[in-house]
Amino acid sequence: MERKIYGLLSLVSLALCLIFSIAHFLGAIQASRFKLGFLLASIAWFVFATLWVTRPKNSTKT
Amino acid sequence: MSALASRLDRLYEFDREPVTPDKLQSGAKFAGLFAGEHVAATEFVIGAFFVLHGVLAKDLILGLLFGNLLAVLSWTFICAPIAVRTRLTLYWYVRKIAGPGVMVIYNIANAVLYCILAGAMIAVSATAVGLTFDIKVPALSDVFPNSLGWVLIAFGLGAAFTALAILGFEKLSKFAEVCSPWIFIVFIAGALGVLPKLGVHANLDNFWQISKTKIWNGVTASGQEQFGFWHILFFAWFCNLAMHIGLSDMAILRYAKKWTYGFFTAFGMYPGHMLAWICSGIMVAGIGREMNPGRMAFEAAGLAGVAGLLLAGWTTANPTLYRAGLALQAITPNWPRWKITLAAGAVTTIIACFPIVFVKLLDYVAIYGLVLMPIGAVVFAEHWIMPLFRIEQFRAEKQKLVLSWRVLVVWVGTLVICFFLPIHLYFRWLPGYVIALISYVLLRSGEKKFRKIGESNYGA
Repeated sequence: MERKIYGLLSLVSLALCLIFSIAHFLGAIQASRFKLGFLLASIAWFVFATLWVTRPKNSTKT
Repeated sequence: MSALASRLDRLYEFDREPVTPDKLQSGAKFAGLFAGEHVAATEFVIGAFFVLHGVLAKDLILGLLFGNLLAVLSWTFICAPIAVRTRLTLYWYVRKIAGPGVMVIYNIANAVLYCILAGAMIAVSATAVGLTFDIKVPALSDVFPNSLGWVLIAFGLGAAFTALAILGFEKLSKFAEVCSPWIFIVFIAGALGVLPKLGVHANLDNFWQISKTKIWNGVTASGQEQFGFWHILFFAWFCNLAMHIGLSDMAILRYAKKWTYGFFTAFGMYPGHMLAWICSGIMVAGIGREMNPGRMAFEAAGLAGVAGLLLAGWTTANPTLYRAGLALQAITPNWPRWKITLAAGAVTTIIACFPIVFVKLLDYVAIYGLVLMPIGAVVFAEHWIMPLFRIEQFRAEKQKLVLSWRVLVVWVGTLVICFFLPIHLYFRWLPGYVIALISYVLLRSGEKKFRKIGESNYGA
């Protein structure tokens, strides 16, 4: 279960990275906000993705 | 210290024996590995150089589409079948074909070339760190380091990259798994971040127009030669020549369950090379066509862009160092893996200090593939053509030859001919490959033939 949650959160982080850049391209946010948002979403990706791939696949922990 | 050394010794993998069925890897692992390996720091430089070489937008797109397709087909139909049938690394297969003498020469050449490539990746990553410390990036004409700061950064990065390479294949694959999807996003986000600055509208209605006038507009930078469709097609094809036609990726694909796993290289060629090269072209246009990967990444995507450049270098330099370690292990049988990788990492770090490895990267990539290509031709001929002509395979191994002079003559002779071929450096490998293939078959055709068709260690 933990693994699935981390997997989901990491994918959301990755999607956010892309969303910030698309939002900037569409003119919805300034370059500075895009860069800050992209950085924070990237940090979230590395945290959650690392937890995701290091958790055993058949973990009994809930 | 001795406990650490023996723990590292246990990292030994099945380098010298055929891979056993329980060690075969899934397709997803290959997709992840190839995707991670081919979205590298060097992509920031290659795509940018295409812009500086004055490529037209149409030539770029078509050249990349067809060139990358040819690369995927080369992996799938040339490298993967031999890797899956033998389950050996190229190095040990060359030993059977050409004897330990040729293997020693080949491995030294291969290891040196891998180290230079990894050095280029470190140098590109160093431009990202250099930005933080305001270190001047080398000019396109620089050969030697231009400052002490540059040398210190290259050393620091080299040490970090080497440490991870020592951990081995499984760990590298895990690391690439985390980094590669994000690095891919960095390229896309960087390009998207720059497009508004270039004047591209949100509905993309003028994207092609801007591409043709502000990015791939046919204008070359000072001192750079003009590139066209064929340069791009051949570059995309030979960019990993040593790996597919040259068969180095037998080391990776020997873990594949089926030869069709070669198609997984498309994950490296299209989202990797093609898209990354297009994105880096957009990014360099965004900073006024200055060859400074660190600044390109920073201006396009901020600090995350700089981190992306660093990690792209890291994830690609590591398997390259791993391969260099494999190449050297074959010629240093009593050395543990970690010690060999450490030696390769030290050489790589020194090379990274010389900016020529990254300012002349495109030419180096061409030479790298060209140097190793004749051995790929020899192995292909030995594996597939010798049984067809009923010529004995693995003569060097059976007769315990130290060195097959035929292989050496083909290798050196092909390179000499390629050197004098009156065509562009990028196109020389193809006629060279045909020359190597034919000359090796002709040299072997005079030998004693064996009795039964298909009498081969690896089937017909």
